[in-house]
Amino acid sequence: MRIPCPYCGPRGNDEFTYLGDATVRWPDPAAPDASQAFHDYVYLRDNPSGIHQELWYHGGGCHAWLVVTRNTRTHEISDVAFAAGGKP
Amino acid sequence: MASFAGRERSALHGLGVPGHYGRAGTAGLVIEERTDLALASITAKRGKRFALVNAVNTAFGVALPDGPRRATRGSVTFAGTGPDRWIASAEGSEAAGFAAKVRARIGPFAAVSDQSDARLVLLLRGPRVRDVLAKGVPVDLHPKAFKAGDVATTLVAYIGLQIDMLDDAPTYQLSVPRSMAGSSWSWLNASAAEFGYDVITR
Amino acid sequence: MNAPHRLARGGLIDRALPLSFTFDGQAHSGFAGDTLASALMANGVKLIGRSFKYHRPRGILTAGSDEPNALVELRSGARREPNTRATTAELYDGFIAASQNRWPSLAFDIGAVNDRLSRFLVAGFYYKTFMWPAKFWELLYEPLIRRAAGLGRAALAEDPDHYEKAFAHCDVLVIGGGPAGLMAALAAGRAGARVILADEDFRLGGRLLAERYEIDGKPGTEWVAEVEAELASLPEVRIMRRTVVTGVFDHGQYGAVERVNDHLPVPPEHEPRQRSWKIVARRAVLAAGALERSIAFGNNDRPGVMLAGAARSYINRYAAPPGRRIAVFTNNDDGWRTAADAHAAGIEVAAVIDSRAEPPARFAALGIKVLTGAQVSHVHGKQSVQAIDVIDSAGRVARIACDALAVSGGWNPAVHLTCHLGGKPVWNEPLAAFTPGAVPPGMHVAGAANGALTLAECLHAGVAAGAMAAVECGFPIASIMMPSAQDEASGVTPLWHVKESRAKAFVDFQNDVTIKDIALANQEGFSSVEHLKRYTTLGMATDQGKVANVTGLAILAGVSGRAIAEVGTTTYRPPYVPVSFGAMAGHHRGKDFRPVRLPPSHQWATEQGAVFVESGAWLRAQYYPRAGEKDWLETVNREVATTRGSVGVCDVSTLGKIEIEGADAAVFLDRVYTNTFSTLPVGKSRYGLMLREDGFVMDDGTTSRLAPERYFMTTTTAQAGRVMQHLEFCHQVLWPELDVQMVSVSEQWAQFSIAGPRSRDVLRKLVDEKYDLADKAFPYLAAKEITVGGITGRLFRLSFSGEMAYELSVPARYGDAAIRAIMAAGEEFPITPYGTEALGVMRIEKGHVAGNEINGQLTARDLGLGRMMSKKKDYIGRVLAQRPALADPDRPTLAGFKPVDRKARLRAGAHFLSIGATASAGNDEGYMTSVAFSPMLGHWIGLGVLKRGPQRMGERVRAYDPVRNGDVEVEICNPVFFDAEGARLNG
Repeated sequence: MRIPCPYCGPRGNDEFTYLGDATVRWPDPAAPDASQAFHDYVYLRDNPSGIHQELWYHGGGCHAWLVVTRNTRTHEISDVAFAAGGKP
Repeated sequence: MASFAGRERSALHGLGVPGHYGRAGTAGLVIEERTDLALASITAKRGKRFALVNAVNTAFGVALPDGPRRATRGSVTFAGTGPDRWIASAEGSEAAGFAAKVRARIGPFAAVSDQSDARLVLLLRGPRVRDVLAKGVPVDLHPKAFKAGDVATTLVAYIGLQIDMLDDAPTYQLSVPRSMAGSSWSWLNASAAEFGYDVITR
Repeated sequence: MNAPHRLARGGLIDRALPLSFTFDGQAHSGFAGDTLASALMANGVKLIGRSFKYHRPRGILTAGSDEPNALVELRSGARREPNTRATTAELYDGFIAASQNRWPSLAFDIGAVNDRLSRFLVAGFYYKTFMWPAKFWELLYEPLIRRAAGLGRAALAEDPDHYEKAFAHCDVLVIGGGPAGLMAALAAGRAGARVILADEDFRLGGRLLAERYEIDGKPGTEWVAEVEAELASLPEVRIMRRTVVTGVFDHGQYGAVERVNDHLPVPPEHEPRQRSWKIVARRAVLAAGALERSIAFGNNDRPGVMLAGAARSYINRYAAPPGRRIAVFTNNDDGWRTAADAHAAGIEVAAVIDSRAEPPARFAALGIKVLTGAQVSHVHGKQSVQAIDVIDSAGRVARIACDALAVSGGWNPAVHLTCHLGGKPVWNEPLAAFTPGAVPPGMHVAGAANGALTLAECLHAGVAAGAMAAVECGFPIASIMMPSAQDEASGVTPLWHVKESRAKAFVDFQNDVTIKDIALANQEGFSSVEHLKRYTTLGMATDQGKVANVTGLAILAGVSGRAIAEVGTTTYRPPYVPVSFGAMAGHHRGKDFRPVRLPPSHQWATEQGAVFVESGAWLRAQYYPRAGEKDWLETVNREVATTRGSVGVCDVSTLGKIEIEGADAAVFLDRVYTNTFSTLPVGKSRYGLMLREDGFVMDDGTTSRLAPERYFMTTTTAQAGRVMQHLEFCHQVLWPELDVQMVSVSEQWAQFSIAGPRSRDVLRKLVDEKYDLADKAFPYLAAKEITVGGITGRLFRLSFSGEMAYELSVPARYGDAAIRAIMAAGEEFPITPYGTEALGVMRIEKGHVAGNEINGQLTARDLGLGRMMSKKKDYIGRVLAQRPALADPDRPTLAGFKPVDRKARLRAGAHFLSIGATASAGNDEGYMTSVAFSPMLGHWIGLGVLKRGPQRMGERVRAYDPVRNGDVEVEICNPVFFDAEGARLNG
């Protein structure tokens, strides 16, 4: 695959590290159900067939964490954004 | 009290012996180590990007690039290496105490760290320079795709490094982690041998 | 000089450049422009090899990379290369080739008895014959099968040649340099696009090199030369000969292998033998042509039976006809071309056997004997064709003498690369072939690869595809005059096998799969094409069934009563042709297997005769042997004793070093460490522990506060990259609202640990006098910027050894000067350098955890570090570390271990069992993580995790290590073996 990094431009996936689902949110550690919420956050991840938002780390380039919208069936990448927000 | 003055070791110590190597004849590549550069990494503080741009402009007369490009004024250059990240370099009289000077001038708006010793910096030029670089640099270096002033941070031979195009000669600058100087030198030598190369010092 | 079977005229060989070569030791001669196959053919050598399973004599079937039979060993010694197709091996002077898979000789091969035993060697024989008993597999069956079924021998010496990898980028990649590919490259190139034209042959032209076609009234090869010259003149067009595109990967990436110097005995100095390319192309035009298929009939594998198109290659391109009296067996007009070309070259044509009822009128004038509605059912002759049996529609059999048989079963478009991203080819009934289905994004298919089987169609399709690709890249349409060429279809009527065959009728020549095997597989229920493949090994040889696959599945369709479209194809995967390991590795082998990181003292350590050890990517000094020391243990004991008794120095530059700045730096550190850093005073260091979000320990290290909003973190050597990634994740993904900046300064600083009671005395001689190093002024955990040797450095009062110790940082360019200065300053005390072994011994003596304990499976509590988990704040991993299972007091917990018999050696990895318990997983109570011989205690010591370890001090357990026959009784003790009260830290 080649991932169009919003900072560096398109690069081979060997420059990136995959983390997984970008839609899960870090739970509130102070919430009463924090234990269950963190369990779900760490261990229960969907593995959808089709469009998926994923976190990729451009460690071989600009060190940005990216949210990559990828079709897991075709590898088509429809969007890439900085995880931290901000313009490309 | 021992003095370290004059006992610094270049990153290429023992490796970059001047001479002609590889195929005999005209060199396809000329390699020169830069040992006169002072380097400082710069990361904008949160919400201070515009203030930083102004501060850099005021202090150094350089428009801070907003992407993977470099901008130079006099002997000072700022190169974009990531979102809100740059590496600044200085040569000549600006080099002494450069990181401290940068910190003094833009410190309120950016984190600054001295990186003057962190890298092996090589200048590469010659008629076959692109053919040599193609043996490891995954970025398209065609003059339409990568122009003078462009910068790329990438992996070459499994080594994370920065490549800058300095001019249309063309001259490229490779900045390699110091600890990997030997491995990157081995890759460069193996890649350039086919065309013949000169190692020179200023 | 002329070889006996070489035609007197013609061919694209250079008769002015004769080349000598040997095959199986026999000297022959050929010409520049020959392949090994064509040169052997010119010399009348028909028997080239023995087949994989039955050891049947085999010759040359094809003229390209689809060759299943003619596999040979090339060159000799360290450059010996097995399993190379003679049909693609370019001849050079002094070329050495040998046949393989035969013993004692090619002509008399003992293994050929397998042909007689073939009823035991049918499809799936190894599942049936060699089932029982299981242990016979290893002892008997496998070695036997391996010896009998074989390919060539790899060289045993290291390959002396250099290989490399390279990247290329273009707008349009054209795959194949035949008529369609040339036109595509021209159309895109003239439009101004950056074009790469890759062709596997050493000469552009594709089928035009093998045919007597004319284009625009000129010989095809002349036309090729003109196009080639124009392409070469276009600055943005790059022609890559000898380059096979082997695979298609996502987002316009193509793998290719360039055989840079395989056509020379030894690559010129400094040049690689092969180069593997990663090509990134915005568009691609696949113009890979088509591959001819055979027909399965009795003994259709005999040397001298060859594909009809290949026969034309040998006659027209190489002037090396496959025989002196050739018969042709065809189910389409293309076979007739072979008869016509042979006739034109003055070769006798014994007959054309056309399975169709109506022969094509345009060849009638040749005056050749024609048998229509007839089929070849049998080949006579063992090591070469002597005659053929032809059966007509009435069932009458006639024998025709000939010494070669050219067979055409039709053409299969080379759809392979269209399928690498999951596309499935579709059955095209009129063409009787599979053509591309859904193709990879950005790919156009042109010419024969797309089922266009006339020259005119190919030329047109090439222009269209090349122009379209260029337009899609934003270039204008270039003007191109469409060349004129023949436009007659070959009119195939499918014929897959000849039913009347009695002898073996081969489908997959390389893996010896016959029509009987396919029928048997179907009969036994393996009727899915993927099952058929695995059960019979059809298409699983090094040629990946280029000749065989479609025929095989058509026969399967026949025996299973299904349509070919319904049967479908197996999956085509990269690489298109075999790729050498050298090309895959490129520069990265031996010492360049991966980058090595060298710490600043490396050169000095080398001068000292240090022994090095790989530690992650780093090469670190393991120990520094001195003359007279008999083994590593004596050296390490001396290094420890000198350090603890006086002073030692160790290069710890390998630690990850990160500067963390910002108004929220303290908040950030509090969140990523289990313990608190916001309270750390400026000028102080603190040991910190990081957890993963799942509650297990990720890393440890020390962090110092350089300024109110500026920290300096160190990580372990092994986890440096991971910690940086983790911190950036925490900042960018979890808490982008924090004002915190982090940057690695690992490469900037050379850092030395100076440890031992005389460490201050050493530093006193180095650090500028104005800095007070007295214990009171610079106590344990102090951190300060200092000047040393006239330059600015940093000094930390940190200790991993348990001794009074410092870490001195200087800019890396002074690292070499610093280690020499430290050693000189310490000489009088005396000082020793110590390596990773002594470092390990001292930390184990002190019960400090390291990589063996921070193994991803242990929690802070498990490591006895529960007290570092703050109860006053939140931090990464806090919530899940409270899980009942992780807080279970029965979890194995860190303790120290001493052998009861003090002379016994301990082993890391040993498991703990209660005395008297049987060695079973159920009785496992934990394991030893680290061991060392302690020179201070005079015996082996260990750290490990044991169920309720800290509550069992003084008890004994077994340290059981069946892998190394270890079974040692050990006593549980405090993990701090030495100076438990920590008195030595101060002073």
